[in-house]
Amino acid sequence: MKGFAAAFLVWALVSPQGGGETWPAHTACRDGNLEVLYQSCDPLQDFGFSADQCSKQLKPNLNIRFGIVLREDIEELFLDVALFAKGSSILKFSYPVCEVDLPKFSFCGRKKGEQIYYAGPVNNPGFEIPVGEYQVLLELYNRDHSTVACANATVTCS
Amino acid sequence: MMPHTHLAVALMTAMAFLSCLRSESWEPCVQVVPNISYQCMELNLYKVPDNIPTSTKILDLSFNHLNHLGSHSFSRFPELLVLDLSRCEIQMIDDNAYQGLNHLATLILTGNPIQSLALRAFSGIPSLQKLVAVETNLASLEDFPIGHLKTLKELNVAHNLIHSFKVPKYFSNLPNLEYLDLSNNKIQNIYHGDLQVLHQMPLLNLSLDLSLNPLDFIEPGAFKEIKLNKLTMRSNFNSIDAMKTCIQGLAGLKINRLVLGEFKNERNLESFDKSVMEGLCNLTIEQFRIANIREFPEDVTDSFNCLANVSMISLLSLYLDNLEAIPEDFRWQHLELVNCKFKRFPTLKLNSLKKFVFIHNTGMSTFVETELPNLQFLALKGNDLSFKGCCSHTDFGTTKLKYLDLSFNGIITMNSNFMGLEQLEHLDLQHSALKQANDFSIFLSLRNLHYLDISYTQTRIVFHGIFHGLVSLQTLKMAGNSFQNNLLPDIFTEVTNLTVLDLSKCQLERVSQRAFDPLTKLQVLNMSHNKLLSLDVLPYEPLRSLQILDCSFNRIVASKEQELQHLPRSLAFLNLTQNDFACVCEHQHFLQWLKDQRQLLVEAEQMVCTQPLDMQDMPVLSFRNATCQISKMTISVSVLTVLLVSVAGVLVYKFYFHLMLLAGCKKYGKGENTYDAFVIYSSQDEDWVRNELVKNLEEGVPPFQLCLHYRDFIPGVAIAANIIQEGFHKSRKVIVVVSQHFIQSRWCIFEYEIAQTWQFLSSRAGIIFIVLQKLEKSLLRQQVELYRLLSRNTYLEWEDTVLGRHIFWRRLRKALLEGKAWSPEGTADAESSQHEATTST
Repeated sequence: MKGFAAAFLVWALVSPQGGGETWPAHTACRDGNLEVLYQSCDPLQDFGFSADQCSKQLKPNLNIRFGIVLREDIEELFLDVALFAKGSSILKFSYPVCEVDLPKFSFCGRKKGEQIYYAGPVNNPGFEIPVGEYQVLLELYNRDHSTVACANATVTCS
Repeated sequence: MMPHTHLAVALMTAMAFLSCLRSESWEPCVQVVPNISYQCMELNLYKVPDNIPTSTKILDLSFNHLNHLGSHSFSRFPELLVLDLSRCEIQMIDDNAYQGLNHLATLILTGNPIQSLALRAFSGIPSLQKLVAVETNLASLEDFPIGHLKTLKELNVAHNLIHSFKVPKYFSNLPNLEYLDLSNNKIQNIYHGDLQVLHQMPLLNLSLDLSLNPLDFIEPGAFKEIKLNKLTMRSNFNSIDAMKTCIQGLAGLKINRLVLGEFKNERNLESFDKSVMEGLCNLTIEQFRIANIREFPEDVTDSFNCLANVSMISLLSLYLDNLEAIPEDFRWQHLELVNCKFKRFPTLKLNSLKKFVFIHNTGMSTFVETELPNLQFLALKGNDLSFKGCCSHTDFGTTKLKYLDLSFNGIITMNSNFMGLEQLEHLDLQHSALKQANDFSIFLSLRNLHYLDISYTQTRIVFHGIFHGLVSLQTLKMAGNSFQNNLLPDIFTEVTNLTVLDLSKCQLERVSQRAFDPLTKLQVLNMSHNKLLSLDVLPYEPLRSLQILDCSFNRIVASKEQELQHLPRSLAFLNLTQNDFACVCEHQHFLQWLKDQRQLLVEAEQMVCTQPLDMQDMPVLSFRNATCQISKMTISVSVLTVLLVSVAGVLVYKFYFHLMLLAGCKKYGKGENTYDAFVIYSSQDEDWVRNELVKNLEEGVPPFQLCLHYRDFIPGVAIAANIIQEGFHKSRKVIVVVSQHFIQSRWCIFEYEIAQTWQFLSSRAGIIFIVLQKLEKSLLRQQVELYRLLSRNTYLEWEDTVLGRHIFWRRLRKALLEGKAWSPEGTADAESSQHEATTST
C-alpha cells in the first residue's frame, strides 16, 4: 500500500500538465497480414483516423475517415509524406491539399476552432505493399507553416 | 492495514485538490508583438486575463474555457482590433459583452456552442468589419442581432444549423456587406420572398457561398433582377434533377462569377448531362467555373452553348475530351483548364481567346500546334508535355503572345528562335529539359523580353551567344544548370538591362574576370550554392548598381585583401553564410574586413569557421586579430634575440682578445719578462718571420713583444750569450719555427737544445712549435729529441689559406697568452724587473 501511495505521489508530481505528453498509439486498420498504427506527433492534439480497406493489395483512391479540431485556418493546406524502412528514408514528397483559388476538398477554407470530419478518397495509386515494417511520417501544415496535424504511422505487413 | 488505506485516501484527495488548483493556469500569454499582440491560446483560462496591457490590439484567447461572456468583458482593451474567441466553450453572451471596443474590426467566435445570445450582445462595436460565427449553433440569420453593424463587410456563418435562406430585413442596413458565407448549413429551399431585401437594397458587390447546403428547390424568379458579384454552389445537389431545378430557379440573375460543381470528397451526383447547363441560358454571367463533375458530357458544344458569351471560363478537375469541337465564334477571352484529364492536347480554334491557362493536366504526351490568333497569355505549366520543336508563331498560331509559361514539362527541343513571337515579355521554361539550347542563339528574336526563367532545365552552357538578342531582359533566372569547365564565361554581353540574375546551384568554381562587365544595371545577384573557393571581388567591380549579392553555400575560404576595396559601393546586402571560412592569421585582413563590413552582411552571426579544427563552428566575427599580433610579436622578438646573440657571438669571437684585455683590468703586463716570446728560426725562414709572425703578433691585438735576433740581440755580445741573456732569460715563451732549413741549421739546433735545457731548468712549459712546411721524416729522425717531441706534443702547422691563417693566429695568440700576468701589480713587478734587468745588463 505504501509503495502504491508513493508511486501515485511520484506520478502526480511528475506527470506533465498540458503540452509535452505523448499521445497514445491508435489503430487505423488491422487485417490478417496488414496492421497500421499511428500516433499524433503534434504536441497540441491527438486526432482520429481510419482507413476503410485494409489489405496488402492497396486499392487506388483509398477511402479514409479523419476527424480533427483545427488549431489553424486551412485556406491553404499542404501535406508532407516521408516513408522510412529500417531507419532509412525511401520516399519523400509534398502535396498541395488546399490552394486558395482551387479548393479541391470540402474542408478547404475551414476555420481555426472548427471541427472537421473528412470521409472520402485519398489520391493514391494502387500497389501491393511489400512485406516488412515501415514508418510513415505525415505532416499537414498551412501557409504560415504552422502544423495542422502530424502523425507517425507504423505499417506492418506480413 | 487500515491506517495505510487512510493515508492513501488522504494523499489522493490532496492530489486531486492540487490538480484542481493547477487546472487554472497562471501561465502568461505569449507576447507576439510587445504591447500590441498577445496569444493566449489553450492556457486553461476561465476568464479574460487581466495581466495584458490595455494597449493590446490583437488578442487571441482561443481554446480556453470562458463559458460566459458578461457585459463589458473586454472594456480593459479599448484599442482592440482583432479578438479571437475560437472554441472557448462560450454558451452565453450577455448584452454589451464587447462594449467599448470602438476599433474592433474582426471578431472570431468559431466553434462555440452558443445557446444564449443577448439582443444587444454585439452593441458597442461600431467598426466591426468581419464577424466569423462558424459552428456556433446558429439556427437562423433572422435572430442574429447584427442589424446595427453598419460597417460589416464579411459575415461567415458557415457550418451552422440555418434552414432558411431568408435574407433578413436588417441587411438593408449593411450597405458594405461584400461576403456572406452560408456554406455547410441546412438550407433546402429558396423562395421568391427570401431575397426581397436584395430587391429593395441591392448589394452589388456581394459574394455568396451556398456550398454544401442540401438544396432541393429554388423558386423560379427568386433571383430575377438580382445582381451579385459571386455565387458559389458546390456539392449542393443530391440529384441531377435537383440541380436542374435550382439552376433554372436562378433565372434572371446577373452575376459576375458563378461557381458550380462538387468537391472531390463530396460527390453526390451520379450523372451529369447537358440539360443542366441549359438552365444557364437565363442568367447573365461574366465568368463561369465548374469543378469536379464526375461525368461531364462529351458533347461540349451543347453543354457550353449557354456560356458562349462569358468572358472567362474555368474548368477544374473534369474529364474532357472533345474541347476541339468548341466553335470558333464563342466569345471566350480567358480559358482555364486545370487538373483535367485529356486523351490528347486540345487543339483549340478560338478567335477571341486572349488568355489560355492549361496547367496540371494529365493524359497527354505531346504538344500539338494550336490556332489562337489573339492569344496573349499562354500558361502550359506542369502537364508532362514534350515539345518536338520550339518555338515559333506557328506553334501557337499567334504573333501577339506576351506571356509564355512552358515550365514543369518534359523535353523541349529548341529548333527555332521564337520567330514571329517578338512581342514576348515573359518566358518561363523552368524544370523542363531544354534540348539543343547551345546550337544557336535561341532567344535572338526576343528583343522585348523582360523575364526569362531557364532554371533547372538541364542546360550545360557551352555556347557564349546563348543570350544574344535579349536587349530588354531585366530578370534572368538560370539556377540549377551548369557551365563548361565550371567557369562562368562572358555570356551577358547583350543583356545590359538586367537587374536580377540568379546563378545559384550552377556548380560554378570560377567567374571569368569580364563576365559581369556589361551588367551595370544589375541590382540582385544570386551566386549561392555554387563551388566558389574564394571571394573574387574583381569580377563584381563593374556592377555599379548592385545592391544584393548572395554568395552563401559556397566553399569560400577567404578573399584577397587588396581586392576587397573593389566591391561595388551600392552594395547593401552581402550574404556569405555557409562557407568554409579559414579563421587563421593568414587571412586576418579579410576577417578584419568582415568585421568592419558587419552592417553589410546578412546573418553575420551565422557565419562560422570551418578551419582550423579548434575554431570549427565558432562565429567568424569572434576571430580576434590580437592572437595574430601576439604570435607576430613573439616571432619578431625571437628573431631579434637570435640575431643579437649571433652578432654578439661574432663580436665576441672577433674581439676575443680585446675583451680579454678589458677583462684583464685594461692592461696586461709582461710579468718579469721583457719579451713575450723568443723566436728560434732559420735565417732562411726570415722572410716569413718578418712578414707574417712579427707583423701579426706585434701589430695585432693584444700586441706581443717578440725577441728576434736580428733586432733585439745586443751587438758586441757573443751569440751564445745573447741567446741566453736576451732570448731565454727575458722571454716567457719560446717559439720554434720548424722547417727543413731549421733542422739543417746548426745554430738553430743549438738554440733549440738550449731552449729545452732552459725549459727543464726553469720548469716552464713554454716551447711553442710552428711547423712551417711538411718535414721529411728521415731528416727529422736525425733530431731524435725533436722528432719525439713533435710526435708527442701539439704543434702549430702553418697553412697558407684564409681559414688556415685565421685559425693559426688565433691558436698562437692563445698559446702566447697562457701564463701571462694580468694583474696591475704584476705589471708593476714586470716593469721593475725589466728595469732591474736593464740595469744588470
